[in-house]
Amino acid sequence: MKHLCTTALVASFAMAAPFAPTAADAEEINVVMFGMPYTNGLRKLADDFEAETGIKANIDVIGQDVFENRITLSFTGGTGDIDVVHAPVIQVQRWVAANWLKPITAEVAAMAVKDDILKGPLDAYKINGEQYAVPFMAATGLMTYRQDVLEAAGVGVPETWAEMLEIAPQVTNDDRAAIALRAVPGQGFNMFIFPMIMRAYGGKFFADYTGGDLTPAINSPETLEALKVYIELINDYAPQGAGNFNFAEVNAAAQNGQVVFTVEGTGVVTQIVDPEKSKFADVTGIALPPGGPAGRSPAIAVHGLAIPSSAENPEASARFIEWAVSPETMTKIALAEPFSNFTTGSVAQNAEVIAKYDAVHPDFLRMQGEALNLAIGHYRPLLPDWPSLGAAIGENINAAVNGLMSPEDALAAAEQEMKDILGQ
Amino acid sequence: MTILQAPDRRDHPAGRSLARKRSMTQATSKRRGATYELERGYRRMIIPAILAVAIFAIVPLAGMLALSFSDYHLIRGSKGEFGFHNFARLLSDQRLVNSIYVMSVLSIFGVAAQVVIGTAVAVGLQKIVGKWRLGRVLFLVPYAVPHVAVALIWLSLFTPTLSPINAFFDLFGFTVPTFLTTQNGAMFAIIVADTWTNFPFAMLIILAALQGISTDLDEAAAIDGASRVKTFIFITLPLLMPALLMVTLFRFIDSLKHFPMIFVITKGGPGRSTQATNFYAYVQTFQNSNVAYGAAIAVLLFLMAALISFYVARLNQRVSQ
Amino acid sequence: MTEVKLDRIGKSYGSVEAVQQFDLTIREGEFLVLLGPSGCGKSTTLRMIAGLESITKGDLMIGGTRMNDVDPKDRGVAMVFQNYALYPHKTVFDNMAMALKLQKVPAAEIQDRVGRTAELLGLTDYLHRKPAALSGGQRQRVAIGRAIVRTPDVFLFDEPLSNLDAKLRVKMRMELQELHDRLGATSVYVTHDQVEAMTLADRIVIMNGGVVAQVGTPREVYDRPADEFVAGFIGSPAMNFLDLMRDDTGRWITECGSLVLPSLPVDAGARRQVRLGVRPEHIAVTAGGQPQGDLDYQAEVLLDELLGADALLSLGVGKARLLARVGGTDHPVQGDRVAIALTAAQLHVFDADTGVALRD
Ligand SMILES: Nc1ncnc2c1ncn2[C@@H]1O[C@H](COP(=O)(O)OP(=O)(O)OP(=O)(O)O)[C@@H](O)[C@H]1O
Ligand SMILES: [Mg+2]
Repeated sequence: MKHLCTTALVASFAMAAPFAPTAADAEEINVVMFGMPYTNGLRKLADDFEAETGIKANIDVIGQDVFENRITLSFTGGTGDIDVVHAPVIQVQRWVAANWLKPITAEVAAMAVKDDILKGPLDAYKINGEQYAVPFMAATGLMTYRQDVLEAAGVGVPETWAEMLEIAPQVTNDDRAAIALRAVPGQGFNMFIFPMIMRAYGGKFFADYTGGDLTPAINSPETLEALKVYIELINDYAPQGAGNFNFAEVNAAAQNGQVVFTVEGTGVVTQIVDPEKSKFADVTGIALPPGGPAGRSPAIAVHGLAIPSSAENPEASARFIEWAVSPETMTKIALAEPFSNFTTGSVAQNAEVIAKYDAVHPDFLRMQGEALNLAIGHYRPLLPDWPSLGAAIGENINAAVNGLMSPEDALAAAEQEMKDILGQ
Repeated sequence: MTILQAPDRRDHPAGRSLARKRSMTQATSKRRGATYELERGYRRMIIPAILAVAIFAIVPLAGMLALSFSDYHLIRGSKGEFGFHNFARLLSDQRLVNSIYVMSVLSIFGVAAQVVIGTAVAVGLQKIVGKWRLGRVLFLVPYAVPHVAVALIWLSLFTPTLSPINAFFDLFGFTVPTFLTTQNGAMFAIIVADTWTNFPFAMLIILAALQGISTDLDEAAAIDGASRVKTFIFITLPLLMPALLMVTLFRFIDSLKHFPMIFVITKGGPGRSTQATNFYAYVQTFQNSNVAYGAAIAVLLFLMAALISFYVARLNQRVSQ
Repeated sequence: MTEVKLDRIGKSYGSVEAVQQFDLTIREGEFLVLLGPSGCGKSTTLRMIAGLESITKGDLMIGGTRMNDVDPKDRGVAMVFQNYALYPHKTVFDNMAMALKLQKVPAAEIQDRVGRTAELLGLTDYLHRKPAALSGGQRQRVAIGRAIVRTPDVFLFDEPLSNLDAKLRVKMRMELQELHDRLGATSVYVTHDQVEAMTLADRIVIMNGGVVAQVGTPREVYDRPADEFVAGFIGSPAMNFLDLMRDDTGRWITECGSLVLPSLPVDAGARRQVRLGVRPEHIAVTAGGQPQGDLDYQAEVLLDELLGADALLSLGVGKARLLARVGGTDHPVQGDRVAIALTAAQLHVFDADTGVALRD
């Protein structure tokens, strides 16, 4: 009954969820992912997988907005029509709590590639001692800056957010703002960026996350200071309308030379410094995101592949994952797509890969590596409730940025809502 | 027989329903047996449709209703509570109140704009004859563009750094206000995008209805002494009423589902000020895993839609009498 | 009551000339009927008078004022449409009152005028009904009432009775006649029904292909059709036509020599060939008789059709075929041999090439 109800509910929300073909036999699996360079590249290699294993993989790459409906429909209905699913680390805790994913500790242990996978991202998928997914990418936050503008203004690259605030007025003119940052509400949007400032000032989500004390603690003087910095940057030093910017607008602003600085994920950064896409690529430098009194905490977002508990042919699914994260497959995608943030370590030693990304920007791979070293796995807390917590915080932060509430009220509201969500 | 003599009456929508009504009463009085056979035949023909509606509408609806009384949470499961607790919570939910306000603004202004613009364009297009008639197709283009693409187009038009509108006014030193960072501005943007893509629907229906109005009536009115404007107000508009009501209802109910526009253009922001009720149900269900509460919101939304439909259907009946 | 003058009026749609050189003065109080086959431009002419169609050439004068560019409402005309064009969402009363309301006539006066008109037309009981709840005849009366209530200078009718069944049409025709006698307003009436035309008209305008073929009283167009087209169009069944050739002796004979006329009732001039017209009702048929006079012939009944009061006989005179209309009692039947007699005064002669009637 519950299944029926849930299915019904989901069906009533589902917007044109395509009916995926169910795996007819052992020789066919269905993979559902949302669009990004790696997934687009993987789809083009589906024939390689079939040639290698004799298993046909139907790789479905859909929009992120429909993805959630699609998989919720499938998982709650237990239809078994998905054999491998795209698993953002931020969602995995929730999915595991809902019993949607199959533990794959043994399968991963048997994979030859396991020691080649970066440990941080791999461990991010470990919940209560079980492995639930294998990462294929780890995007980190990096800063881009216009070397020519900084030189002309006679200022250096800001190391801290405070320095950023000092430099900002010196590099702003009528045609150009200082910085563009994601501001639109969402755990993957402003909540990908804001925690970098928050952590730089010593703010935190919980009283003691690593120690297990999950008392919400976002309403602190440190976070307030960080929020004020974020607000000041967006309202005083970002282009008009920045209060609704997402990564696409940030990317465009940087590529069009409308801003001097951005702090973005590596996926966007590669496009900002790509000479084929941006007129200003050759005068754009890459650096670590600014830090603060409490240090530097680059954003990190890990994406991986997991096997739904309803999958009917887990062996074939595991074989697919192993193939998908293998150095050979990864290298092919890294060369064919703008895909630099792979998590299979040996790919970084591949001469062609190095040559390709050095050509895009000589500092890129090195900076990405440094950021990855500095990033903490729980940059955004790894909790089943994070999607709703992140949304609630993000909405209040955005409300403060756009002047709908004071920063103080926004943090108080965010903390209260966190408590409500966690049932405290 | 009478009907054959009055083709004009059947040719416009108001008359059409009347004519139909009359033909039915006539037929039943004159040829009861034959009509009964006919109706039975029709009834049999709609059985598959009824089954389809039952399976694709009633079953999910019943499921949703059941869920809305439960306490099912995607992560925490269910403690087996069953009752009105979700609905009790709705009553004091400030976010729901805001969502209904947002939905009402979006729907009322959006649908009004779509119907007014759609009617205006239809009236304009109807006057165009000759080869330029093909130009009508041009006005259908927005309707054919997927909603997500429409939303992306308008998102960039409302983003100052990307918008050619802003670039144009910048040339003259004007600064176009920022829309997406205030609640009213963001709602305006969503309404514009929604209107742009949906006015052709209104236009199509109204155009069809206009075509059903005999030109004789315009001419009779012209001879009676009515100006074009008066003819439109006193003759055309009343005859369009059933079509207008239908368009309004269709668009209004459809507009309660403003999902893609909000999702792409504002993500519900600034803050959560453009989270319309449907978006809020999504937030509760998918983001907050609160399936039971999300279902309760969806049930509320359904009831509102049903109420509006019922009311408009009654209004329609009155208008066509 | 007003004179309407059409001064060489023409209408073209692109290269199509729907009406050409329409030149006519409609007298004050006259009932003028426009008659002609489908597509000949009757409606177009009427609609140009009404102002619903622009005038391409010529001048339209109503009551001495040039009206070419005047709005329909300011021409002082009222029109009754073939499909009635009643406002379906308005009651009978409101349909009739529309024009008065637009003229801002005081409500009491509207009440009074509509009331009187409704009484005149027997519509008093239906004033609060919508058109859909009326019979065809009642709707037609409402349409007429809507025109009358405004007391216009000119009435225009476009085939107002063609949607009614035969019986009702006769009844309404008589009512219209009475109405016109009573109101005496200048009226222009379009029809393709010649009985309507003959009975209603003071004068008939017969049109053909956008051109006026003849203008005249019903008597004139029947007795003295201007050309072969008019002759053939007026009268039912249509006139018989026979091609005649003059032989060396001056006699006129049909192609195969079946009919011989010693002379023509009119002067054919130097023509060697003409077309003869004989109305079916002008052929006298005598069963079993023998031809006696010059215009008497022997014929055989090939087919007989009883219409009721009358019967139609299809006659063979040698190879020539003639249709005759005779009394419906004891008429000759198929296979009978009969004598037929023509009357010189009732014969029509037309130029074989132009179709123009020849007269002395
Ligand atoms: N809008 C138009 N464009 C082109 N030709 C037209 C148009 N309206 C009418 N015509 C042509 O003009 C001619 C006269 O049309 P009109 O309607 O006056 O005929 P009518 O005598 O009233 O015929 P009927 O007895 O069938 O009503 C016809 O040949 C018709 O095809
Ligand atoms: Mg006509």
